[in-house]
Amino acid sequence: MRRPRLPLILTAVVLAVAFCAILIADFGFTGPASTSVERFVGAAERAGAVNMVSAIYLNVRLFDTLLEVLVFAVAVLGVRFYLTARGRPEAVEKIPESRVVGVAADVLLPLILLVSVYVTIHGHLSPGGGFSGGVIAGSGLLLAAMVAGTDAVDRRLGGRFLGRVEWAALLGVFVLASVPVALGRTPLSDLLPAGTPGAIGSGGSILLYNMLIGLKVFIGSWVIVKHFVDHRGEI
Amino acid sequence: MGILNGVTISIVLFGVGLLGLIFRRDLVIKLLALGLLNSAAILCLVSLGATPDGAAPFLPAPAARALVDPLPQAVVLSAIVINFAILALALVFVMLLVERYHTTDAQRIEQEAEAEEETWT
Repeated sequence: MRRPRLPLILTAVVLAVAFCAILIADFGFTGPASTSVERFVGAAERAGAVNMVSAIYLNVRLFDTLLEVLVFAVAVLGVRFYLTARGRPEAVEKIPESRVVGVAADVLLPLILLVSVYVTIHGHLSPGGGFSGGVIAGSGLLLAAMVAGTDAVDRRLGGRFLGRVEWAALLGVFVLASVPVALGRTPLSDLLPAGTPGAIGSGGSILLYNMLIGLKVFIGSWVIVKHFVDHRGEI
Repeated sequence: MGILNGVTISIVLFGVGLLGLIFRRDLVIKLLALGLLNSAAILCLVSLGATPDGAAPFLPAPAARALVDPLPQAVVLSAIVINFAILALALVFVMLLVERYHTTDAQRIEQEAEAEEETWT
């Protein structure tokens, strides 16, 4: 190695020590400052959501989540743009998977999709939500692609139509967030009534947001997987 | 809390990731180190909000146990999604570089790019 490593190591050590010092000074390792918990209990009760985490990121701090969905969309767009511009490599002969994979995929795929839908629409009642549900369904499609190939799965899903659904879901999230403004209510406030906590129809707009985000993440993760597999030649 | 808690482990992981990001020459390993940095940050945030005997943040809150702080968990969701986005996009750029220079070695890519620049001027 030509370059001097010592200054870099020293910098890293100093940064780490400073980081630890700030942490110890601010938090004292005596446990967390739990003052914020009561505040969020109130917020979650107002939203009618059982899951406090989803009440935070889809209600109190919705603005954060909107831009997060936008970051995800831009990443999917980037992957699609650069790998499409590059073109597909010459077709590689597909190595046939064992029959076990095919039979297992037949059994598991419906279950995976069912779990994904459950996790998505129960996001305000139990751990989960649109992001995790979408990724579950996207990886289920990866299993299907291992058996049938990406082109067959893409054709079955509707090909180009799928991309439009993805952008429609993204647009839907933003329209849903801006409808309260059009109606003259507080920006980013809930559109639907809170309902009884614990019921599937409770939680205000959280259910709608979860479904739209789930759709968006599902298609987005499938697009990423498809382009990486296509670039490689075969899965 | 003992010395071996989530925060100290995350600091160690952060250091490992940072050193890997700086000193490893393989671009793919650099990306893995970047993922490790992100995981360390997530672990740190979640551990800061956790209590040793905290209940999961669901309503109605149990009377006997305190709830853990739900805010870091909600913030961490953004960190996970953005890390996923960054890694996917960075991997595409690594693939383009590998296609052009036929190596994942950052220094060799740098040398070859400099040599290319000299031939242009």
